[in-house]
Amino acid sequence: MIAFSKTLKISASVFLGATLCVHAAQAPQRIDVSKMSKQVENVVVPLPNEIFGALNKLGSVNWREYVRTEKSSNFTERPRIALLLGTVIADGFIAVQAEDAPAVKDIGHRVLELSKGIGVGNSIVPHAKAITEAADKRKWEDVRQELDRTQSSVQAAMNEVQDQKLSQLVSLGGWLRGTQVLTSVVTKHYSTDGAELLHQPDLIVHFQTQLQGMPEFVEQAPIIRDIQNGLGQVKPLVDAGSAKISADSVRKINDITTKLDSGIVTKD
Amino acid sequence: MNRFIKSSLRVSLFAFVCFILPRGAGGTVDDAQSFALQAAEQNVKEGFQVREDYWGGDLGSGEKKAVRQQLFKGNEYWFWMGTEVERAKISVHIYDSEGKLAEQPDSWEKGHFAAAHVIPRATSSYFIIVSVEESPEERTHWALVYGFR
Repeated sequence: MIAFSKTLKISASVFLGATLCVHAAQAPQRIDVSKMSKQVENVVVPLPNEIFGALNKLGSVNWREYVRTEKSSNFTERPRIALLLGTVIADGFIAVQAEDAPAVKDIGHRVLELSKGIGVGNSIVPHAKAITEAADKRKWEDVRQELDRTQSSVQAAMNEVQDQKLSQLVSLGGWLRGTQVLTSVVTKHYSTDGAELLHQPDLIVHFQTQLQGMPEFVEQAPIIRDIQNGLGQVKPLVDAGSAKISADSVRKINDITTKLDSGIVTKD
Repeated sequence: MNRFIKSSLRVSLFAFVCFILPRGAGGTVDDAQSFALQAAEQNVKEGFQVREDYWGGDLGSGEKKAVRQQLFKGNEYWFWMGTEVERAKISVHIYDSEGKLAEQPDSWEKGHFAAAHVIPRATSSYFIIVSVEESPEERTHWALVYGFR
């Protein structure tokens, strides 16, 4: 019995030790970030709902005010369709925040239409169906997941046919619409925490680098040049270092992104 | 009839050797992703939304890779890493933009699964360092997924 209890104690200490090993983060407390730059992989662009989620925690937002369902212009140029598609998917996330089922369903149909316009409609059909079904049942978490899957499938289909640049424009369109809405909300009810959500200078550099790699699209879609200029204006406003992003900066970013969003959804 | 059975068997064996064995032995980043998602299961039950996008690749033993991610103050994040190489040991750690370890103490690593938990103190770009600490394979597939709430 004593031997058994001794064995039990030893086993318990081994188990405890093993558990501690499992949980102990034996990572250095500090790393040299300058040495990391060459090893860094591409940034994953956050979805609008990631930002909206953080914004919601700062106070209630009347999301219905930002729901947009009117059909935007029809384009034939693929870069323009890609930008618009990203914007419309972001509108889907706004409609989910507002729990507006008819708007979500309209947006689901529009996403399908635009995906067909750039030749990736087939991969979107099941998602569009799932969005409609989940909206009918008011299962908002499922709609969010399905919107994420939609964007991911569109981009995977584009990447498969070597259209990575169009895939990047989808992310950019979504980010611009998300930023426009974020700045609208924060302009109305300014708080330093709300403004801090705009502190995304690395993401702007990431988009600028990608846009520099697509000069062939500028002729088809002059809006791309406007976006390049707009990002150049936004970057110093969000790159405030340890200072707070001011209410004036938030308003300026809102003006810039509103103008760009209008350029994306309407014909020249 | 006998000849037919023999030649069918040969064809099946050839197909098995050509297509099935290499996949089973080598695995893919998609296989690694399914293990990363397995690591996420408990947190998903706690309300974390897992992003469809993920990072992946292969690393040799002792190699590291950094990925950068914009995180938002107010949200809470988990990063889950997995590999299909069951005897491998992997790790994932999160640093802020100044290079300071930023993860919560409940971050964990267990063989071919690892996870790091972060509650950002500031909205900024963070570094996620993934590493294959040990592996019997020359190159080990890895995948990293993340979720937030």
